[in-house]
Formats: sequence, C-alpha cells, structure tokens
Amino acid sequence: MAPPKRSYTVITALILVAVFFVSFSLYFKLPEKTGFFTKIVLETSVSLGNFVNAAFSSIDRGWERYVLLVEREREIKKLEDEIAPLKREVNDCREMSLECVRLRKLMGVRDIITFPAIAARVVEKNRLSVFRTVLIDKGTTDGVEIGFPVVATRGVAGRVIEVSWNVSKVLLLVDYNSNIDAFIQRTRYQGVLQGRDRAGCELKYVQRSADVRVGDVVISSGLAGVFPKGLLLGTVAAIDKTETDLFQGIRVYPSTDITRLEEVLVIVKKAEDR
Amino acid sequence: MIYYLILPVFSLLLLTLQIGVFDVLFFGKIAPEISLILVVYAGFFMNIMRGGVLSVLLGFCMDSITGVEPGFFLLSYTLLFLICKVVASNIYVRGKIFSLCFTFVCALFEKLLIVLMYKVLYGMNVLSDIMTVSFMQAVITALFTPAFFALFLRLEGLLNAWESKLPDRL
Repeated sequence: MAPPKRSYTVITALILVAVFFVSFSLYFKLPEKTGFFTKIVLETSVSLGNFVNAAFSSIDRGWERYVLLVEREREIKKLEDEIAPLKREVNDCREMSLECVRLRKLMGVRDIITFPAIAARVVEKNRLSVFRTVLIDKGTTDGVEIGFPVVATRGVAGRVIEVSWNVSKVLLLVDYNSNIDAFIQRTRYQGVLQGRDRAGCELKYVQRSADVRVGDVVISSGLAGVFPKGLLLGTVAAIDKTETDLFQGIRVYPSTDITRLEEVLVIVKKAEDR
Repeated sequence: MIYYLILPVFSLLLLTLQIGVFDVLFFGKIAPEISLILVVYAGFFMNIMRGGVLSVLLGFCMDSITGVEPGFFLLSYTLLFLICKVVASNIYVRGKIFSLCFTFVCALFEKLLIVLMYKVLYGMNVLSDIMTVSFMQAVITALFTPAFFALFLRLEGLLNAWESKLPDRL
C-alpha cells in the first residue's frame, strides 16, 4: 500500500533538511581540494558564460562606448594632469632603483626572490554578490593551486581558493573573508588587512600609538606565507582613533580596482615557499 | 525524468545569464537575483520533490560559481524553499503583490543569513555594510518577480506538455 501523500511530503522535507545540514557540516571547513562536482560546475559555467558573453559582447561594447564616452573624456584630461608629476617620479624611482642595485652589490645581499607567474584572464565576475570572487581561465593544468597569490598591474588582487582543470576561483582582497598580513611601508607597523567589500579594506590590530597617516602605503608583510613580501596592497584612506580602543581603525583604499579586473598574474609558489 | 536531466543545464544557464548578462546590461550596479525568484517560485508552485531538487541544485551551483563560504547558498536556498512551501500550503500565494512582497522579504532574509553567518563564524558585524547595498537589490529582485513568475509558469507548462507527449513519440 502506498504511503499517504502528507507523509510523503514530510519525508521529502526531512530528506532536504538532512541534505543541507550534511552538506553544510561537510563544507564547514574549507576543503583542501576542490570537489569533482564543483569542478564540473566551474568548467561548464565558464564555457556557457563564454558562449553567452560572445552573443552579448557587441551590445556591451556599443552600450559602453555610447554611455561612458563623457566619463572617458574627463578621465583622459585628469590622467594627463596626473602624468606630468608621475614622469618625474618615474625618473626618481629609476635613479633610486639603480642606487639600490649598487648598494645591494656592495653589501653582498642576495637579490629578492622572484617567483614565476602565470598570466590569466578574468572570465566571470559577479559584482552584485556579497561574496567578492572572480573566475580566471587558468587551472590545475596550467599549474595553479589553491592558495596561490593573484596580482594585477597595480598590486594584489586576491588569492586562489578553488581550482578546477581550466578555471580557478579567486577570493578578492575586498571580500570579508580575505585577511592579509600587512604593514605600513613608511613606519613598518604590522597589521592584518581585512576586506570590507565596497568600503575597501580595513587594517586591523595596529596599535593606537602607532604612527600612521592618511596616504601611507600598505604592503604585504610576507609573514603568513601566502603573499610574497612587499606587494602593494593599498593606501591609507582614513584613520579612526578612539580613546577607549586599543587599536586604530584604519580604512585602506585598495590599489587594485577590482571592478575593472581583466588580466591578472597568478604567482606560482612551491609548497616549501608557502 | 526529463525534468531532472534538463535541470543541471538549466540551472547553470540561468546563473550564467544572471551573472554575465545582467552585469553587462546594468553595468554591474544592480540586477535581480533570478535564482532566488526561482526558489520562491519552486516553493509556491512546484511539488516538494521537483522544487527541492531544483533549490538544492541552484544552491550548489551558486556555491561553486560565486560562493566563498561553501554550502551557504545550498543551505539558504533550501531553507527558503521550505519556508515558501510552508507558506504556500497555508496562504493563497497567486497574487502578484503578495509574491512581490514575499520575494522582497526572502531577499532580505538571505542577506540577514549572511550577516548572521559572519557574526557567528567570525564575530564580525557587517549588518550596515551589507544591508545598505542589498536593500536596493532586494527591491529590484522583488519588482522583477511577477514577470519571472509568468515566465517560469510558461516554461513549466511547456516542459509538462513535452513530458506528457514523450511516451507517444517513443
């Protein structure tokens, strides 16, 4: 005899409840390796995305050109004004770099370790999600592994959190889950740079008495073993010093504009380097 | 059976459209969360087996593509589906205004789950950060609900008609 319809509904509901509790408890800790089905979903979504994007790319281009023309013009003028002092700065930096090389040779210090990098293209970004991630078109077949740092032209973009065969998911530095060990370049005060979504980042655990100023550059410390030392993270945008707090509230503006990420470099780090 | 075979492809296509196309059309500023509308639709109008599988699958795909906390979307979508199912069994849910308002509440509830998760797991209070951004998105999602409900109803009708004709073809 078949069970009554109501009990069938209750049983199915219970199974569903069990499924999500089991799944959630299984995933409660971030897995070391990406699951097979997750890989399948990542691969297929990118393939489908490419297909759909190809259809919409022409509309996108026309739309963007038309609407953003005024903004671009303003941007060009602004950039022209900015270029002049930058050229002088470049010349100064070149001089300083040459001086640095000479000093290193003089002191017999070994040159900074440079890691090989893989160039990748951002193939999917969901700017509306609360979770700030992007998908890139390189995966395990290209040598990408979980935990590899990802940098853009202006500095750190994030780190790889999931890898498939040809696709990887990158956790951007502005995500709430992103924590990067960092320090202020000028004064070497150390802290943890945590993502704050649209508000940029926050440098936490810097003592109240520490000398930090708006405009100070924040770089990776290299201590946590994920990011190499000295990578540009951002600049201090605002400081909040409350009398009662032990630490300062330091708002950091990320150096990389994650809304315009297109090409990135995945830094290849061997297990012993991490 | 055809339904369960089509479902994975449909879910992925829907999410690709949600992430890719709406990002292009609205410059990534604002867009409806179609996957959430579909979960609410499934809770209101589909049977528990079909709707449940659809919600679990959509949640899994969302987790795979955009999720940072694995299992979050799986949990929230299944929970929302079950809530919708309970509501649908007690209240008349076919009104446009009701579905619109209910989707709005669901969208806010999903964001509140995120806030709760951050509070419980990391002790972070992100309520103001998330809600300021998410409120408008919830409104947009709600406004799109009647249109997408009509579309899903039609798609489901087509699928049912196709499924009923299938044995004759064989």
